[in-house]
Amino acid sequence: MALTSPPTSSLANPLASPLASPLAFWLLAALGALLLPWHAQQDGLTLAGLAAPLAEDADADASAALGQALRHGRFWFWPVLLALLPALAGALPWLPRPSRARLLLAGGGLGLLAIAAQGLAIGVQGWNWPWLATLFGEMDDRQFGLGLGGTLATLGFLVLLTDALALRGLFRGDRFIAGSVGLLALLILVFTAWPIGRLLSEMLAPRDALGPWAALAERLLDRKLFSLACVTQPVGCGVVWNTLLLAACSATAATLLGLAFALIASRTALPGKRALRLLTVLPIITPPFVIGLGLILLFGRAGLVNQAADALFGWQLGRWIYGFDGVFLAQVFAFTPTAFLVLIGVVEGVSPAMEEASQVLRASRMRTFTAVSLPLMLPGIANAWLVGFIESLTDFGNPIVLGGSFGVLSTEIFFAVVGAQQEFGRAAVLAALMLVVALGAFAIQRRVVARRSYVSLTGKGDTGLPATLPPAVRRAAYAVALPWAGLTLVVYAMALAGAFVKVWGRDWTPTLDHFRRAFALEWAPDGGLLFTGGAWHSLGTTLLLAGIAAPITAALGMLAAWLITRQQFRGRTALEFALMLTFAVPGTVMGVAYILTFNVPPLELTGTAVVLVACFVFRNLPVGVRSGVAAMSQLDRSLDEAAVTLRASTFRALRTVVLPLLKPAIVTALVYAFVRAMTTVSAVIFLVSAEYEMATVFIINRVINGDYGLAIAYSAVLILLMLAAIGLIQLAVGRRHLGRRATPPAVGRA
Amino acid sequence: MSGADLRLEGIGKRYGQVAAVRPLDLVVPGGALVTLLGPSGCGKTTLLRLVAGLEQPDQGRILLGGRDVTTLSAGERDVSMVFQSYALFPHLTVLDNVGYGLVSRGVKRAEARRRAEATLETVGLAGYGARLPAELSGGQQQRVAVARALVLEPEVLLFDEPLSNLDTRLRRTMREEIRALQQRLGLTVLYVTHDQAEAMAVSDLVVVMHNAGIAQSGTPRQLYEQPDSVFVASFMGDANPVRAEVASVAGGQAQVRLGGLMLTLPARGCGPGQADLVIRPEAIRRVATGGLPARVRRASYMGSHAEYVLESDFGPLLAVVPGYAALHPAGSMVAFDIDTAGAVLMAQGKGEER
Amino acid sequence: MTRLLLLPALLLPLLFTQPAAAQGSLNMLCAPAADWCEAIANAFQRATGVRVAMARKSTGEILAQVRAEAANPRTDVWFGGSAEAHFTAAEQNLLQPYASPNMAQLHPWAQRVHAQSQGRCVGVSSGAIAIVYNTEVMARRHLAVPHSWAELLNPAFRGEIQLPNPNSSGTAYTIIAGLVQLWDEDRAFDYLKRLHANTNAYTRSGAAPVQAVARGETALSVSFNMETTSLAQQGFPIAMTYPSEGTSYEVACLSIMRGARNLAQARRFVDWYLTPAAMDLGLAANQYHVPAHPGARADPRIPDMRQIRLIDYDIAAYGDSQRRRHLLERWDREIGSQPR
Repeated sequence: MALTSPPTSSLANPLASPLASPLAFWLLAALGALLLPWHAQQDGLTLAGLAAPLAEDADADASAALGQALRHGRFWFWPVLLALLPALAGALPWLPRPSRARLLLAGGGLGLLAIAAQGLAIGVQGWNWPWLATLFGEMDDRQFGLGLGGTLATLGFLVLLTDALALRGLFRGDRFIAGSVGLLALLILVFTAWPIGRLLSEMLAPRDALGPWAALAERLLDRKLFSLACVTQPVGCGVVWNTLLLAACSATAATLLGLAFALIASRTALPGKRALRLLTVLPIITPPFVIGLGLILLFGRAGLVNQAADALFGWQLGRWIYGFDGVFLAQVFAFTPTAFLVLIGVVEGVSPAMEEASQVLRASRMRTFTAVSLPLMLPGIANAWLVGFIESLTDFGNPIVLGGSFGVLSTEIFFAVVGAQQEFGRAAVLAALMLVVALGAFAIQRRVVARRSYVSLTGKGDTGLPATLPPAVRRAAYAVALPWAGLTLVVYAMALAGAFVKVWGRDWTPTLDHFRRAFALEWAPDGGLLFTGGAWHSLGTTLLLAGIAAPITAALGMLAAWLITRQQFRGRTALEFALMLTFAVPGTVMGVAYILTFNVPPLELTGTAVVLVACFVFRNLPVGVRSGVAAMSQLDRSLDEAAVTLRASTFRALRTVVLPLLKPAIVTALVYAFVRAMTTVSAVIFLVSAEYEMATVFIINRVINGDYGLAIAYSAVLILLMLAAIGLIQLAVGRRHLGRRATPPAVGRA
Repeated sequence: MSGADLRLEGIGKRYGQVAAVRPLDLVVPGGALVTLLGPSGCGKTTLLRLVAGLEQPDQGRILLGGRDVTTLSAGERDVSMVFQSYALFPHLTVLDNVGYGLVSRGVKRAEARRRAEATLETVGLAGYGARLPAELSGGQQQRVAVARALVLEPEVLLFDEPLSNLDTRLRRTMREEIRALQQRLGLTVLYVTHDQAEAMAVSDLVVVMHNAGIAQSGTPRQLYEQPDSVFVASFMGDANPVRAEVASVAGGQAQVRLGGLMLTLPARGCGPGQADLVIRPEAIRRVATGGLPARVRRASYMGSHAEYVLESDFGPLLAVVPGYAALHPAGSMVAFDIDTAGAVLMAQGKGEER
Repeated sequence: MTRLLLLPALLLPLLFTQPAAAQGSLNMLCAPAADWCEAIANAFQRATGVRVAMARKSTGEILAQVRAEAANPRTDVWFGGSAEAHFTAAEQNLLQPYASPNMAQLHPWAQRVHAQSQGRCVGVSSGAIAIVYNTEVMARRHLAVPHSWAELLNPAFRGEIQLPNPNSSGTAYTIIAGLVQLWDEDRAFDYLKRLHANTNAYTRSGAAPVQAVARGETALSVSFNMETTSLAQQGFPIAMTYPSEGTSYEVACLSIMRGARNLAQARRFVDWYLTPAAMDLGLAANQYHVPAHPGARADPRIPDMRQIRLIDYDIAAYGDSQRRRHLLERWDREIGSQPR
């Protein structure tokens, strides 16, 4: 066989991208530190702004770090600049490997530390900590947030640091893995750990004459939080108990209903049960207030049911819908589909072979169900309950629309910030309580899922037919589920019909006026098109930001899933936990944390689109990671190992082998991230600005003002757009093609 | 392409408290096929993955053709691997699978296709290039996996239990093909298996691994005839280990007392006293007179030969007798002696201390 | 696939490219009804060519946002919301003084706010607190229309009155502060305690009770008159009376953020809004605030404030955060925690 000389190292691979050398990242760091404006510029990214540092007389705040240090006496940039020197020596390929590793480690580490230190030390009013002022003297200077230069320099130093670790043989000596882990760790640190820590520290903010600990104690021991008065008297209980009670009730009801639907779908011959599956998609793409509005239009004091009852029987049904009952009902509508999706897998996962074994052992159908099927499903049912519990806990849309004077933690946090008191400290305490509860539920849920080892997924689908339900159970399931399915349809029909009449409950004239108000177009005198409808601005922003956030979420999610399942490195478990953490962080908490953290340097992001995109990405990342991990664990690990031994760089292996096989998971992550970005309200309500307004915030403002018609019209348009987007995503990603057989064989096995 | 020696020096790997590979040395001479043989969990696959660069050793060095590759990543080593599951990329055609490594290395696509087709021909799969892996039989998939590894002309080719997914017959054919290919192309191969017959059929050298270390290495014949330990003896074919007493040693020959028999065997370092004696089943011969008594517990007719389980004074013994001899029914008494060519003496407990 | 992942890269630049607007742009936060806010934004855009980015938020949200943005304001003007909220922002040095040349023509109450805030905000409109009722529900229940605070205590109204919660609603605070100024603190809280028996809910939002009255969800509420008129115009069976003892009112303000990036446009907006033509936009958007310019179009639906018996409301004193916290804590202790 002809011999081609083997490549001495991938660094010398002529076809490898230029990123294959640490030098490229040194240049990036140098570009950021020496040439580009270090700080964020007032008018965003402009060509003139980028060129500004090159001018002789550049303004200090428009200059690069080098210019600021040289010409404006900002000595705190010298460590950043000095870090470039050892890093350059290490980035060049001339020195032996161990020396390069040492130099890169020193350069990258010093660079990152220096950037973080100067960013945190100098804020809007000079030194952030008094001891610095005594050390360096008072500063009459200030600094803005990191801009393009600072960001690029940070990224460059980060990769130089991870390169050093890879050169030392960590991460199997793979630069791509080291860099990916470093990037993910930095992102999670900045966009999850830091904001949440910052929010929690607010609990200790002194109030009036109280010191930090006394203030914390006063906030924690507030009667409004933990009062149990409602047990003995007809008054409201503390908001913590309200929240827990509501979450427990909603989770229980949703789980029972979900189980009934799952049993019907998998173990009865009910005609049309496929349509049930369609019902499960609806709530996922429904903006959060539609169900609440439907319920008001149906059960409100002026709703159809009440009017009918009054007209026919003279009954006054009252205003029960506002408060616990209404929120409970709306949450059950919203969360039953999720419970169904969790439970259908569980119910179908119980191996028919065991039920057949039970029947062969002379057990009746009822006994088979109670003694075999149900116990096998129990861990799955517990999981569905906990998912429902967390969903209810973090729900904001339903309590705000239907809560009346009934408050839960998520709305209390909101009102603590925007209400008449405007107290972040109280919001922080509430957020901490919510976080504790959510994390507790999340931890239990993970343990439950980890232990459900006896759901017997054998991979062989043909081990028998699932047992049909005992007649009593079947009747019970029908009795619970079918009316509910009917009610769901009615509520949706109600809600959407509200968009097409003038004033629901008073003026039933059919009209398209609400759509016209939202999406009107006008010709300007100069011939240009004016988007005069009130909804255009927020719709455009929402689509743009969701469109940006979804691919980032999916890409980061897949990368993280791949690192977690395929790579061994120290801190892997910690990384996994941190990635999953935001699942348990309620949106309101995240929003408050972001606004607190990112309104001051070094990362001044509030009011920009970046903060919204970051919020979407990091809140939805856990789902991306999960679907990635699930898909990855079905992929034979030797596939990517094979690619690597075939000289593919780790990145090429990921791109050409792993990603094409992960298409279904990528679609899931993209769709979820996109839809959630379109429908989320609790997190963004604090983050929107005049420039970047989101559709859900626009809608909730209409709801609060009682303008239901426009709110529903807008929601209907959003639902249609999301359906279209889901179709587009599926089209764009495409299917994976594994053979002419109908069912692809176990991937990678013979 | 032949010639690159693979040399492991003091290579060790731990997972937490568990030693996956105890520090060991190993040399695979250029152009030779060396097999790592051992039960599951003995560290043989880990060792292979260390060579491939899929795992990082905790200590020691790996030298490929004299070059230290210990800290290089998998893609930077001139090593190819055939996986137990084949790991064919299910979404790529056979031709793209085989050409994958070439394209990764920067070979032009057309050239890669040409060379991939040529390699497919080498493994007897010309004309199958357009298919997807799922459309091939198990044996064909195996060949594609070999072709994909071969096309890179690696200095060392690694096989990780490549035949374990095939049925018995195909396994025999394929192992002959692999051996033929290896000898024809002069490949340096490190081959992992737990199948002793496969190891003996394909190897120049066999390394028996046990408890994360090397128990013994040598040619198949050396291992079979001169095992260092009861473990190696038992793993290389069937063996009956018994306790025997060395009466005396003179000139490298030991007089071994086993019941009423006195055998003369190479001493292999044993002194007088208790020792282990390993008797191959085919070395147990029925004798008409004299010998040792035993009762037939079970007798099985195997076509070409008969297998007996004998109850003797030293415990149960497995004996294999060519099939044309008359079958002794269970319960009957027989007398036997031992062919010293099929008996190996070793110091007591050797190879068990690990 | 890979192309899809590049999508954000293609979209990202959009975030940084502003549509070309020769006249510049203006970022506005707007507190009143969204239709009105949009009408204002569109009209200003049409009149001047300045591109307006407007977000409608509740007053509390706006205050929280401008406080959060203090270091680096993204907002230029803040339109609407009670003067107290603007004063709070002024107290924290978030607003920038501006005296518009058009200010001299305004009603005295609008100019007084400007003076009290050292020029940091100017009154644009006003409205008064009224007792609001649903005519159909009242008739069906045979309830007499109340004309005073005292009549609201009528046991016949048990469970029929809806009020906002002052912890979250500025409207509720205006009501309570008004009662405190009408009588004194103890008497006001004593009154609220007795009113509690007739109250069915304390809503989070100040606008919610009047909505509930319009839809017949409750018979009575205490709300602003202009909101009531808007709903009556939409065909809801809703009407109001002013308490005979005297009632609170609010002055809605307009202010410019300190450090506004589009200062010229912001000033241009203030000048533009303080003209009768701009103030007439409210009428077209079904809003019946009393405009600050006497020259704005008169309309029978806009109440004549001189006809209403108003409390001498001290915006500066009751906008003070210490006093506010004191009143809220007392409300929580004595009203919010009462059994219902």
